[in-house]
Amino acid sequence: MEKSEITTRVKKVVSEVLEIPTAEIGDDANFIFDLGANSMQSVLLVGAFEEEFNIEMDEDKALEVQNIADAVDFIGGYV
Amino acid sequence: MLTIPEMKNRAKIHRKNLEKIFYPDSVAIVGANKVKGTVPYDILMSIVNANFNGVIFPVSPREKFIAGIKSYKYVLDIEDPVDLAILVFPSAVCHLALEQCGQKGIKSVIIISAGFREIGGAGIEREQQLKAIAEKYDMSFIGPNCLGVINTDPQSSLNASFARKMPEEGPIGFLSQSGALCTAVLDYARAKHIGFSKFISFGNKADISEIDLLYYLMDDPKTKVILLYLEEVTNGRDLLEAARTVKTKSGKPILIIKSGRTEAGAAAAASHTGSLAGSDEICDAAFEQAGIIRCHNIVEMFNRAIAFAYQPIPKSNKVAIITNAGGPGVLTTDAVIHSGLQLARFSEETAKHLKRYLPSTANRSNPIDVIGDARADRYNAAMTATFKDDDVDAVFVILTPQSMTDIDLIAREIAKVSSHYQKPVYASFMGQADVQEGIEVLQRNRIPHYQIPESMADALSNVYLFHTQDGKLVPPHTFDDVNAAEAKKILDRNIQQGNHLLAENESIEVLRHYGLSTLPAKLATTHKEAEKIAHEIGYPVAMKVVSNEIAHKTDVGGIILNINNAKEAAEAFNTIINNVKLKLPDAQLNGVLISPMVFEGEEVILGMKRDPAFGPVLMFGMGGIYVEVYKDVSFRVAPVSEMEATQMIERIKGYPLLQAFRGREAKDIEALRLSIMRLSQLTLECEQIKELDINPLIVLSKGCYVVDAKIMV
Repeated sequence: MEKSEITTRVKKVVSEVLEIPTAEIGDDANFIFDLGANSMQSVLLVGAFEEEFNIEMDEDKALEVQNIADAVDFIGGYV
Repeated sequence: MLTIPEMKNRAKIHRKNLEKIFYPDSVAIVGANKVKGTVPYDILMSIVNANFNGVIFPVSPREKFIAGIKSYKYVLDIEDPVDLAILVFPSAVCHLALEQCGQKGIKSVIIISAGFREIGGAGIEREQQLKAIAEKYDMSFIGPNCLGVINTDPQSSLNASFARKMPEEGPIGFLSQSGALCTAVLDYARAKHIGFSKFISFGNKADISEIDLLYYLMDDPKTKVILLYLEEVTNGRDLLEAARTVKTKSGKPILIIKSGRTEAGAAAAASHTGSLAGSDEICDAAFEQAGIIRCHNIVEMFNRAIAFAYQPIPKSNKVAIITNAGGPGVLTTDAVIHSGLQLARFSEETAKHLKRYLPSTANRSNPIDVIGDARADRYNAAMTATFKDDDVDAVFVILTPQSMTDIDLIAREIAKVSSHYQKPVYASFMGQADVQEGIEVLQRNRIPHYQIPESMADALSNVYLFHTQDGKLVPPHTFDDVNAAEAKKILDRNIQQGNHLLAENESIEVLRHYGLSTLPAKLATTHKEAEKIAHEIGYPVAMKVVSNEIAHKTDVGGIILNINNAKEAAEAFNTIINNVKLKLPDAQLNGVLISPMVFEGEEVILGMKRDPAFGPVLMFGMGGIYVEVYKDVSFRVAPVSEMEATQMIERIKGYPLLQAFRGREAKDIEALRLSIMRLSQLTLECEQIKELDINPLIVLSKGCYVVDAKIMV
């Protein structure tokens, strides 16, 4: 899968879970600092990424991912 | 790690930035949210509800308004200047928030968030990251992992914490390493109407430490008394210097609770000093040296603090006790004497006054018993007479609730009468439910109240001692007849050779270079040499194995005493070598040290342990069973002045053994004192020494001699 496609789909998931328009989500946006995700939303994001990409991620490692760019790289390792 | 000049520079920056932590004109709560019951929201509301005298800027990635206040996505979006930032983001992103604070020009920060050094691993790295950012921008921060900061001064009225309520304003500054303890203390204090000037939870003290805060409170005109709860002493020598400075420059007392009083680790130490000098004993000694009052629990701490905070300083230690019950009067009398205070002797005039106003059944001498049916008028008469008496410098008022006791009136009378005199008054209304109304009256009038009367004696003796003891640091005497270079040469050679323990003859040599008196001793490597040396020294002699690998010579049969002729000397040499080879076949032996026997004098032990927080700590005690069984020892952090050396000697229970008694001559205390001071200089100048025992040092009526010594490097 192309990196640009992963980025688009990651942003779409983030937009849905955090209820933020995709236009406001930068490529390096930090889930907590820039997008205001709380701990519950962080867990929801991991589940939503797994569903979106039909993958099963290492949850502890997934929760360490801080921003969109890192999430794209991390998911890229599974798809 | 910062260098010493860098640390000093940081301390200067902290002193400047601390002012805006307590007196900011504007505060940003970075990481705020709208969720009630969460730390970010509650902190914002604490600031709002305390009527903060400044502008509040919530900073939240998601919210446009919080509690009706305009919110900003980033701290950089705030157009106005911001004096103080309070970080409440999760630990993983605190560095991003702090970086923006730096870019914004904010110099003062409180980091509430947890998840740093206290969790280890990645948390340690995150904390280092925060420190690096703070250093880059010349910022200062309190925390992380803390409850926050409160300033009750109406000029600021800042409750930057998630404590439930703002405390009353008062003269006590409270510093705590534990955040949870803070909330308990605030609740305890509120119930007793104890007010605070500043209330600070400093958490992991990654940047601003308790030392910086002590200096701040020293200069804070709103603070009269400083309380500190500490879990770890990381820089003991700086803490002592700060405490001494606070005492001498401001006269403000520092009361400390230092937790972690027990320690099992000392048991495995190689020396007596190492095993006896646990971190708690060292803290006790160090705090005493610096005039810090150590308390064992919160109740004791506040009992003492309110005495310091709310009442005048007594001119002497003479106390009048007024009670309506005999038993508590006797208990208090015992406590007064036990605490080193005295019962005042009343003047003729006082006696006349008491005779006129008290019934014949009353006890009119000290302690005054106004009898169980006493009402406010009798308390008034007793208080008026005693306050006027020149021999009385403090008054303790005790009340037990009888059916006719007008409790709240008596409490008011105490407040009214005492307000006319510059003498301290403390009260103990014994009981709980019936006396509560009177206690409230006392507390609201700043009359220290104690649940049990004995606590009054403890509080007053602490106030009295603090103000009578000189806190000035007396520079220690420096001996110029020492040969530091030669001593260091021996120590360095052993380090290079990989020896952790110096051979006894070398340990003694090091001490000799610092002017400690030693016995003539020579090393024999054969039994023939032993015969010759013993003859030269003169019988009787003592013989001891010498090895860098043997710390406890007696355990391996390495000592034989009282050898009277050449034949015994040769036999003793062979016996010692055989004994040691049997017990420790692989040990490298240097030979056998031969020295004269000493039959006179008193055996004492001198020692030193290099503590990670306080540096070299000296120990003194009586030798033999006194140190082994009774652990009768005293400690002082080096440098040790003449006065402190004297205190070390006089402090131990066995001190009378060094004085003249039952026909025995007094021992040479001056020689002993000088030995302690010389040892102090040695341990400061030769940092190679980790532990040291002189055991025994024999103190004669004239002079003293090192008989055995052990130095660990």
